[in-house]
Amino acid sequence: MNNLFSITHSITQITDLFSRKNQKKHNPIKTTAWIIVIGFIFVFSCIAIVYNTYFRETGTIAYIYQDGICIYSIDLSTVTESKSFVITGEQGNNTILIEEGKICISEADCPDQVCVRSGWLTNSVAPIVCLPHKLVISLVSEDNTNTSLELDGVAK
Amino acid sequence: MIINKKNVMLLLCFAILITGCKSIKNIDIIDIDTKKETTFIAMDTVMTLTIYGKDETLTKIKELITNLESKLSVTNEKSEIYNINKTKNATVSKETVNLVVQALSLCERTNGNLDISVYPILKEWGFTTGKYQIPSKSTIESKARYVNYKNIICDMANNTIILENNMEIDLGSVAKGYTGDCVVELLKSENVMSALLNLGGNIQALGHKPDGSMWKIGIQNPFHNEEYMGTLKIADEAVVTSGSYERYFVVDGTVYCHIIDPTTGMSIQNGLTSVTIVGESGIICDGLSTALFVMGLEEAIEFWKESNDFEAIFITEDGKVTITEGLIERFSLLETTTKINQEMEIIYRE
Repeated sequence: MNNLFSITHSITQITDLFSRKNQKKHNPIKTTAWIIVIGFIFVFSCIAIVYNTYFRETGTIAYIYQDGICIYSIDLSTVTESKSFVITGEQGNNTILIEEGKICISEADCPDQVCVRSGWLTNSVAPIVCLPHKLVISLVSEDNTNTSLELDGVAK
Repeated sequence: MIINKKNVMLLLCFAILITGCKSIKNIDIIDIDTKKETTFIAMDTVMTLTIYGKDETLTKIKELITNLESKLSVTNEKSEIYNINKTKNATVSKETVNLVVQALSLCERTNGNLDISVYPILKEWGFTTGKYQIPSKSTIESKARYVNYKNIICDMANNTIILENNMEIDLGSVAKGYTGDCVVELLKSENVMSALLNLGGNIQALGHKPDGSMWKIGIQNPFHNEEYMGTLKIADEAVVTSGSYERYFVVDGTVYCHIIDPTTGMSIQNGLTSVTIVGESGIICDGLSTALFVMGLEEAIEFWKESNDFEAIFITEDGKVTITEGLIERFSLLETTTKINQEMEIIYRE
């Protein structure tokens, strides 16, 4: 809102400046043209502010990397029913399960099963990892009210 | 258009209108649009790097980490550490010697509660391979006899490291911390002012966030792997946690964790479940998190009182949280967390 105020304020100043100038030179057409230009910028700014505040994308996207290469990107916010699929790599298989806003590895034939035990991934802080299969799943959440409490990292 | 004062003023006004006005809080201006992030697997763990800088810098960091890993890996047959363990007398690179010297000084400082020569015992327990087992008493005793960091000879002039027969070293307890320090040095030389490194759960921050605020770090809840038990604000610091919940196995209801007491060769069971160290140096935080876990709560508190280069958070198996006084302003306990006692104890230096 501060931004909006400063914009309106500057516009008033500019229009004042112009009306004074035009009182001297008596050129109403130029004044109208300027007002239209300023008005256009004003309306455009308002639209941009409203768009940024209310219509920003709130998707949660899961990226699945195999050996450092991104092989899948899934928009989890559009998932309506749970689905699962298998990713086969050189070292073995991982079964990925997705539901609305969350993703997990439900089964894997890796020796340590760490990826399966890490459970559901719902925030962007710590990725799910299957070290033996070199598989990493990370979330990028664009939601303003994300569940990670806006953390920058997790020490463990 | 005539160039006069008014027109110039107008153009300036428009320039401001179009570009928008950014509020600048701190003197160092960091462009948040230069944010670069990468996640990759190295040193048997996942590393996520966030920097405000150039893509080339990220590439240089990755090269640095890959290079360190190739020298320090205990399992890679081409690594310098593997060579030291095999030949017991090897000439190595400056970086490796530097790390061994720093690691040995931490072993000395913690009176052997950290010992880089505990590796043969760790192998017997299967913590290096994932094939967990309880070794027999005689096996542990025979291996523990050779565990003593004092018998490692480090010749800095000739970059040579000499071990006694039957001795093997593993820098796993300090390698990630050292790597963090090296990456921070590299970032500084590249004029990066803001970065957050997550080296497999070891967090290391360079500077503040671009908006001037501190980095907000969650501390893993040892009783629930999807939860954080609290948040900590840091800047220009490392945060390293050692926990018995990371790698462990259970036999007949007894939990055996991957942290080994170098003197007895036994898996640590002293009531602690997680130790977090916060400090400027990554390697000190990394080494001390293990050493203070081995010491146990009471001895660790005494150790902290005699030091001035770190702060700590301890969590015991009954869910009690103990923090040191330097963290009062920066650490806050989360209200709804599994098994964590809400009454936190604060330790003062007096």
